[in-house]
Amino acid sequence: MLFVELLVQGLLQGSIYGLIAVGLTLVYGLLRILHVAHAGLFTLGGYICVILTNQTGSFLLAVLASMLLVGITGMLIYRICYQPILDQPPFVPLIASIGLFIAMEELFRIFFGAYGLSFTELPLQEPLPFLQVSLKQAEWLTMLMSVGFVAILAFLANRTKLGLAWKATVTDPEIASSFGVDIIQVRYLNFFIGSSLAAASGCMMAVLNNLVEPTMGSVPSYKMLAIIVLGGLGNVRGTLIAAILLGIIESYGTIYLDDLLDRDSIAFVFLIIALMIRPQGLFQRT
Amino acid sequence: MNKKNLTVFLTCALFSFISLGVVNADSVKIGFNVPLTGFAAADGKSALNGAKLAVEQANQAGGINGKMIELVVYDDQASPKQAVPIANKLIEKDNVKAAISGSYSGSTRAAAGVFQAAGIPYISAYAVHPDITRAGNYVFRTSFMGEVQGRAGAKLVGATLQRKRVVLITLKNDFGKSLAAGFKEAAGQFNVQVVNEYEYSIKDRQFGPIVAKVKADNPEAIYATGYFFTAGPLVSQLRAAGITAPVIGQEGYDSAQFIKIAGKASEGTIITTSLDRDSTSSETRSFIKEFEAMAGHKVDMVAASGHTAMKVLVAAMKKAGTTNPAAIRDAIAETSLVASTGTISFNSLGEVQKNVQVQVVRGGNFHYHSEIRDQTLLAPPTR
Repeated sequence: MLFVELLVQGLLQGSIYGLIAVGLTLVYGLLRILHVAHAGLFTLGGYICVILTNQTGSFLLAVLASMLLVGITGMLIYRICYQPILDQPPFVPLIASIGLFIAMEELFRIFFGAYGLSFTELPLQEPLPFLQVSLKQAEWLTMLMSVGFVAILAFLANRTKLGLAWKATVTDPEIASSFGVDIIQVRYLNFFIGSSLAAASGCMMAVLNNLVEPTMGSVPSYKMLAIIVLGGLGNVRGTLIAAILLGIIESYGTIYLDDLLDRDSIAFVFLIIALMIRPQGLFQRT
Repeated sequence: MNKKNLTVFLTCALFSFISLGVVNADSVKIGFNVPLTGFAAADGKSALNGAKLAVEQANQAGGINGKMIELVVYDDQASPKQAVPIANKLIEKDNVKAAISGSYSGSTRAAAGVFQAAGIPYISAYAVHPDITRAGNYVFRTSFMGEVQGRAGAKLVGATLQRKRVVLITLKNDFGKSLAAGFKEAAGQFNVQVVNEYEYSIKDRQFGPIVAKVKADNPEAIYATGYFFTAGPLVSQLRAAGITAPVIGQEGYDSAQFIKIAGKASEGTIITTSLDRDSTSSETRSFIKEFEAMAGHKVDMVAASGHTAMKVLVAAMKKAGTTNPAAIRDAIAETSLVASTGTISFNSLGEVQKNVQVQVVRGGNFHYHSEIRDQTLLAPPTR
């Protein structure tokens, strides 16, 4: 029984990692930017969700609004912060991104206070037992969302013109452009989708912990990097699988490897071992 | 002025605003290092407000022998790396006569050595690590050492609550580790058996695997160290999994934020702390009233500790009658005064000995549960 419960907890944790890392891998896949500030967008999503739920009473509305607003913020970050330095070596946008992330953390603290925010009426808390596993609605929803969003992304990428344009731009921007793909538009769209996924993840984190705080992006900010490397940098499906694998390994590791390893170091030990065996990541880039 | 010069000018202006405050020739400077940004900023803000209230009260009552107190505040982000240069700056640039730490153990330990070497009295308001006062005879602590409070926790579980099989969930930092060490040290004395111990990092908010394992362990009580921002999610996840054993926390839980985060799950949580909300002491009652009026939110242990440390220091400086640090140190060592967190007096190591308050969450507020008065158990080390 404990074995199953730990597995379920791992799946849950993995889903949260997945939601945030998939957004990041989209950005990396297209622009080769290690967008650390993505974790700041995750936090922003959580804040918007808590504030709007408390104002309007509707969690669903708050999640949708949060995804929309954070998506737009992501596009603005691309326009203001990254676009002017795209021709610089990769470490330049990386440093810009780290700076932006730190600034965002402090802005959250200044605007929303150091104590963090909680829901006045915490939604989705009813237990929903399924096959002997009892989880709250919020926990089921989190897992459903990560699989659902990846399925939608896969559908978009493989079955629509838009997706074809995206894939073409990722493979070779110049050729895509010569075939009439508006690569600038694709980049904006990419930032929008990636950032709204980070927001969705932040919303679920907020409802699982009943707490959003300025520094809640600090762990995802580095763990998501390990996940996208494992997932094959830019590979959406690979990233989700890597995230869920990591969640499960962490879940068992927290209980059985605790004397040896810190929970947060498990990700990196896993990364090192995986890269020693498969230097290209667990999965190929698509 | 071109754009670059303007930026430099504005940056300099901004920094001088932050660090200088109001300069008054006829004032006494007291240093205060506190986390105002980063993960511990919430506690830092409370501690600073508590200390500011004490300064305000003292200045209204005529300051220190006619001189107004000027608080020199620096943000140490609860980081030892920041605390050392701040301590040096307070001593050399600001020329403070004494200082207080409103910060966590890591930064306080690091700064304590610097103040000791310079011969400037330094009081730790709520950091728990044993090595802080071991820096030397200029360093004092007005709150419980971690081990002392941990021992009180063991007595609370074994003697007051009569629970024997206990699981420890330990926060992996100076705070959690020293509390857990104290708990384990005294557990045998009260027939408490530690079935299992799990550790978590200060960044964790999701405790799924630990909760599942604790459920399988089926303990009679859970001694979980942490701060309100870790304990809130932890307690609510324990309760959501259907675990009903009492959760014993410590002063890190001592904030209205804990109750806000954990919601109904916080009901019945018992903590060891230094502030009794239902106290009959007029000192404690007036502090709670004045703090809540000033800060606009409910009082917490950290605020009371900031207030207590400042009150002790101001009283000692008045008594010393001079700004000579050695005289101030001697006056602190001889302290005997009633503060919001109890009666403060120091042993030869600079540690305080007072009763441990036990509070329970009832009706969405902390209330009196019991008090641990065992003087032998609560005796801090003398060296």
